Amino acid sequence: MAQDNDLIRRACKEFEQDLVLYYYGERGREESKELENHLEGCGSCRQFLADLRRLLPLTVKPDDPPQPFWENYSKEMQERLAAIAQRGRWWRDLASLFRPWPVPALATALVLILALTLTFGKRIWRSQDLPPDEEAVLEILPMAENLDFFKAMDLLDSMDLLEDTGGPGNGSV
Amino acid sequence: MTTSRPAEFEDEKLVTLAQKGQREAFEVLVERYKQKAYRIAFDFTRDREEAKDLSQEAFLRAFTHLQSFDLRAGFYTWFYRILVNLCLDYRRRRGRIAWESFDEKTHMAGGQSEMAGAISSPDREAMSGEISRRVGEALQALPAKQRTAFILKNHQGLSIHDIAKVMQSAEGTIKVHLHRAVATLRQKLAELV
Repeated sequence: MAQDNDLIRRACKEFEQDLVLYYYGERGREESKELENHLEGCGSCRQFLADLRRLLPLTVKPDDPPQPFWENYSKEMQERLAAIAQRGRWWRDLASLFRPWPVPALATALVLILALTLTFGKRIWRSQDLPPDEEAVLEILPMAENLDFFKAMDLLDSMDLLEDTGGPGNGSV
Repeated sequence: MTTSRPAEFEDEKLVTLAQKGQREAFEVLVERYKQKAYRIAFDFTRDREEAKDLSQEAFLRAFTHLQSFDLRAGFYTWFYRILVNLCLDYRRRRGRIAWESFDEKTHMAGGQSEMAGAISSPDREAMSGEISRRVGEALQALPAKQRTAFILKNHQGLSIHDIAKVMQSAEGTIKVHLHRAVATLRQKLAELV
């Protein structure tokens, strides 16, 4: 392999990139002229350029699909673009709800509803849900439950008092 | 209402119309560039269906992001950047591609893929699948940026200026990539042919 590589002569180092660009027509007229002058006297660079002309076309393998392929391609694209456009329209409709003016309007309406609900709601719900006497019973019931609790507390207090008065270490006997 | 046919409009006008919601204007752009788009995708994928999918995907992405497209930039360059990025992503996803299978596919598809610019000498006619495979391997072995610059220049004929825009690199960098790619390929192919 090394022997093969030796057979492939390199172009002059300072001209090699220019030769590549020259091959692709990327050199200006003046630069090309300068390069052509050099090529006249340099076999290595001539060989390099000849190799590019001989070898680089080999790397291209264009595919040439038949006409039905292109017709199908266009048809598919039209369908897919239409689908995207349709989807975009749906999003635009949705997004239109969030345009600048509806947002504050909607927020104001929500705040008003909330304020009215908090102000009048409690009274309305109470009066609608229960008749006044049943409502009074419901208010007394927890108090009655609390009475039992207070009774128990009184009992405990009495026991403490008994202990204080009748206990051995109180000095009353 | 204009009496001109959209097919005759320049890219810029078509993009403007498409941005305003005229899908048909974008379809004209698709018709205008579909073959170029397909071929560049094919250069990267070496597969007809994959190339079709990738190039169509590039058009769809361009259409979806059309509102963000700056009219001062050329549509062609912008679109090609989308396409090339998709192709590079595809290569990253797929890893190594069996380039040799491409030769089988194209031969089976009718064998009408004549080498561009090739001289129909008996030697060229007789170029075996082995050589074709080695050409593919040589391209495959190039670093990604060198290969991309090479494909865009050698296969697509883009100018260095346009390649630099597509690859978002300096023109000097593209020249270096191209030079290295060509020097490597010349070295490898000269051993074969």
